[in-house]
Amino acid sequence: MNEGLLSPDGWYWLYEVPPQRLSLLFIGVFVGFYWIGAIVFRPILRQFVRDTAGSNDIVGYVLSCFCVFYGLLLGLIAVTAYQNVSDAGANVAREAAALSALYEDVSQYPDPHGQNLRWLLRDYTRYVIKYAWPLQKRGIVPEEGTIRAEAFHDRLLEFQPQTPAQEIIHAEALRQFNTFLEWRRLRLFSVKSSLPATMWYVMILGAILNMAICWLFDMRFVTQLVLGGILAAYLGTMMHLVFDMNQPFRGDVSITAEPFEVLYQRMNDA
Amino acid sequence: MTPTAASAEPAAARPTRRQALAHGTAATLAAARALAPALFAGCSLGIPPRARTVPVGLLHSQTGPLAISATSLRDAQIFACEEINAAGGVLGRTIDITAPDPKSRLDLFQRRAKALLDAGSVAVFGCWTSSSRKAVVPLFEERDRLLYYAVQYEGNESSRNVVYGGMVPNQQIVPALDWLVGPEGGNRRKIYLLGSDYIYPRTAHYVAKRYLATKGLKPVGEAYHPIGHSDFTAEVKRISASGADCVLNTINGDSNVGFFAALAAARIDPVKTPVLSTSIGEDELRSLLPDQVRGHYAASCYFQSLPTEANRRWIGDFRREFGFDRMTGDPMEPGYCLVHLWKKAAEKAGSFETAAIRQVLAEGLEFAGPGGLVRLDPATQHCHHWFRLGRIRPDRQFDIVQESSAPIPPDPYPEFAFPGWKCDWTKGGLERGPEVTIDG
Repeated sequence: MNEGLLSPDGWYWLYEVPPQRLSLLFIGVFVGFYWIGAIVFRPILRQFVRDTAGSNDIVGYVLSCFCVFYGLLLGLIAVTAYQNVSDAGANVAREAAALSALYEDVSQYPDPHGQNLRWLLRDYTRYVIKYAWPLQKRGIVPEEGTIRAEAFHDRLLEFQPQTPAQEIIHAEALRQFNTFLEWRRLRLFSVKSSLPATMWYVMILGAILNMAICWLFDMRFVTQLVLGGILAAYLGTMMHLVFDMNQPFRGDVSITAEPFEVLYQRMNDA
Repeated sequence: MTPTAASAEPAAARPTRRQALAHGTAATLAAARALAPALFAGCSLGIPPRARTVPVGLLHSQTGPLAISATSLRDAQIFACEEINAAGGVLGRTIDITAPDPKSRLDLFQRRAKALLDAGSVAVFGCWTSSSRKAVVPLFEERDRLLYYAVQYEGNESSRNVVYGGMVPNQQIVPALDWLVGPEGGNRRKIYLLGSDYIYPRTAHYVAKRYLATKGLKPVGEAYHPIGHSDFTAEVKRISASGADCVLNTINGDSNVGFFAALAAARIDPVKTPVLSTSIGEDELRSLLPDQVRGHYAASCYFQSLPTEANRRWIGDFRREFGFDRMTGDPMEPGYCLVHLWKKAAEKAGSFETAAIRQVLAEGLEFAGPGGLVRLDPATQHCHHWFRLGRIRPDRQFDIVQESSAPIPPDPYPEFAFPGWKCDWTKGGLERGPEVTIDG
């Protein structure tokens, strides 16, 4: 874990923390930062506004302006992240649907071609569920699915249609295979898709500034801790939400292999 | 939020900043102490410890002419790995499988094997043809790692870095010839040798010729065709013209489809001229039309139709994982057993290191497989095998017509074929005899 901290993916160990604990961790870090800041930095920052008449009104005005921009940014980022997860989920469902249609097509082939092709598709589906998904959950693009897709393609091309009906089914299977490949590639592309680092810097900087502005309020220390702590806790929750949706296949808000599991069950029941 | 209310309080009643800080710090520490066990119980920062894994390579062609057979072998070995993982792994580690595709190409076998070894695979299970095995063995010898090879092969080889799980000629071809020339096989005397053109068929035929010579017999013909060859019309004519009363078939892969089609087209009767194949199992039979192969024979150590409880259970478990219509056969069964033998060896050795595993191999190992007890011979690093002869049924299964009374010990260098050659890794290793030249 410590080695990973220095690498670009250093923070992704966080995805392995159970969601409730991760949520508490985010809140704890933000509230802790606010409280420590209130103790360490607040006295320094307060120097700038101490002698200003109506300083709380000014700080309140600045905070509300800042919150509009920051809230907008945070909202848009959350929506973008959710959209990313949602799109990736749709791609997964489409890939499974294309695979299902392909399975139906090759079921019409005469044996042993049909049987070989069905086995290869089952093998692919099984691999996706049992091996590809756990890798994707770790942010790794699975590679051996490509081998299975190639094996299927090779076998598909070996088939020589003997009747006009077989020609039609074969043409449809080839078209369906290309559709399947397209969705498959989109799934693989989305394994590593995430918010750019710049967005994270802006979000984190915004959160820090938000809290720093709150330190400028002149109020009882305990009140400062309580009210600021509430704000920091909510910021932590928002950050946790965005972090959870940052990568479509990781975290609590992630895409499951359910479409493939349903398909595999159907393949085995057929 | 305004300071007015706070400043209106009497100064004596308000805690000083120092007091507030002290109380706050004490409260925070108390809360942290109370919450920490619940938050982070059992693991650092609440992070579940990463599963410890051991990398294992499966080197089987998934595309190309041998893919269909090799893919089934790969699946049997994946199944074994998954079984082991479900039972807790090996030495507390989960097997992490890497299965690249050498695409039935020798150069890719070498490259993929190198990549697997570079990636730290502690064991590699793989190869189908002898050519592919021979292409990678030097690499395993150079790195002193172990290759686990599951397919029946021609013998005439003993590498300290290979554990051979398949049959050798003295366990397969010799008993098959005994049956053919004996009364149960119809006292055949005119045997035609037909194979694919690579190491296994050529060496297997050499062993067959030498063995037949000990019985005063000589094949009536011998022919080889490249892997993937499909038109056997002329060859079948030659078989008919030779007056052969049986064919020993060592053709590998899809070429069998063309051969049996040509045989059926020429109306060769399996009762009068049976074909005894060494590389046809249930998986290969799927590609062959039942009418074209019914009544012919195959020699193997395992058939799916083996009527034992252990076999039925294994087939059921395998099909539950890989599909209701999947077949099992040779070399799937030896391949599956090899993975379990490796697990046993590693656990007995308490290590994945080659030297430690080798020490355990030298003591001998056993595993109760679906086809019966599998025993590894410490002297040769080959397995003892049952000999089973199956007659092909219309439902693409085998009727077992002959079975050895006990597993046959392996002899990669039978004296009649390789005089002076012996292998015993427990007593100094390979003893070389006069050079043997093998040709068509």
